[in-house]
Amino acid sequence: MFGFLKRMSAPIVLGALILAALSSIVGDRSARDREDLPWIQGLLLDITVPFQKLLAVPGDLIGGAWDSYIDLVDLGAENTRLQAELTDLEQVNLQLREALVSSGHLDRIVEMRDGFEVPMLPAAVAGLDVSPFFRSILIDRGSQHGVQAGHPVINHEGVVGVVTRTSSHAAKVLLIFDRQSAADAVIQRSRTRGTIRGRGTSQPNFEYEARRGDVEVGDVVLTSGLGGVYPKGLKLGEVTEVADLGGSLMQSASVSPAVEFGRLEQVFVILRRGTGMELLYETGEFSDPDPSPEQAAEAGASQAGEGGSS
Amino acid sequence: MKTFLALLLAGLCALMLEGVLARVFPPPWCPDLGFLVVVSIGLCLRGLIPGLLLAYLLGSSIDVLSGSLAGLHALLCVISFVSAFFAASQLNLKSTLSLMAFVGSLSFVYGVLLFFISSLFVENIGLSWRWILENFLHAWINGLTVPFVVEGIGRLVAWSEDDDSQERSLYIDSPMRPL
Repeated sequence: MFGFLKRMSAPIVLGALILAALSSIVGDRSARDREDLPWIQGLLLDITVPFQKLLAVPGDLIGGAWDSYIDLVDLGAENTRLQAELTDLEQVNLQLREALVSSGHLDRIVEMRDGFEVPMLPAAVAGLDVSPFFRSILIDRGSQHGVQAGHPVINHEGVVGVVTRTSSHAAKVLLIFDRQSAADAVIQRSRTRGTIRGRGTSQPNFEYEARRGDVEVGDVVLTSGLGGVYPKGLKLGEVTEVADLGGSLMQSASVSPAVEFGRLEQVFVILRRGTGMELLYETGEFSDPDPSPEQAAEAGASQAGEGGSS
Repeated sequence: MKTFLALLLAGLCALMLEGVLARVFPPPWCPDLGFLVVVSIGLCLRGLIPGLLLAYLLGSSIDVLSGSLAGLHALLCVISFVSAFFAASQLNLKSTLSLMAFVGSLSFVYGVLLFFISSLFVENIGLSWRWILENFLHAWINGLTVPFVVEGIGRLVAWSEDDDSQERSLYIDSPMRPL
């Protein structure tokens, strides 16, 4: 008996490990609560992030020195161009404010903006995905800083992705061009709605209904706020190519992301899930005419919470 | 136990390093150090069961540090380890070139399996020529890198097993041979 077990120990261990891995995969897909990682995995993430930041220091120093002190060839020309751009934008801003004031909408917009302001947490990118087939990043802020799975992550250029898993001091962010990523989006010019879906390459696809679609190269793609993850109006990217799929019901366009992911160092986590939806209820500007009992209870709780905190 | 812990630590360090390297060499140009360590363990370590456990633990660590499904890399690392372990005794991997070709092929298959299993769980994952090309390039990079990783892991195994390297399953007869 013992001889048999000894002889079969390797196949038994192999079978057990394969079963464990398969059950992890199935468990991961069916998991509804994607909050903190189990403690041992969280510990690994917590250790990895500072270690990676430390490893990245020499590279960052060299890169920083190069950018700040050596690679200044076009700095003068760029400065002149930016100043001209700033002057133009100031003019446009003045004209828009004047138009708003004259239409009596400015006060109302200022009031709405106060309601829309959400807490944002700055975070540093510690490392990239260790698997070349997935696109995610690790950031140095976790559940202890208020970060939760489902929080959107942005930077000054646009949408970066969404937090998928957290440990106490770190979090994993799925980038918008990962194959598992999809977000509700809208074309700024024509208001064509669709879904921006990652393909694993640097250019995600914008998929939209052909019959109602009006998409051209150069169009700006924004978040629609309807997916329940990203707030409305954040820049996702620009259309670079519109595919002609003949008589297909759905069309797709390649989008160049607004964020330069190759140089991603600093991001902001929006510390609120489903911001777009929540904010519409909070401002009272848009109320569901016939909310379900669950929605009514949720909206009530949310408003009570906001009131308590203020 | 000393060998097990040393290899586990080396694998984790390789994963952390890979996360930083990927910022400089974006995919597919960054070698998959986690995978290469697992394969090197399969080529250099004598014990099958400790190796299986190491492969599973390192694969699970890759799952934690990447955006993949939990358990996906753990499964594939176990399969890669078993392939490397038996290849070391069945195939002639003495020359660096044959080692590179074997690991490059294994890396390509690893990518294909990763894609296939992911497609069972993620909708609209979409296979493209670009992806196949990237996977091929990545396999090539892994093939080029593996002699160095095998050398490092070989040295570590020799050191931690008090230099009983004569009993290793693979003898690499190449200039990069660690012994």
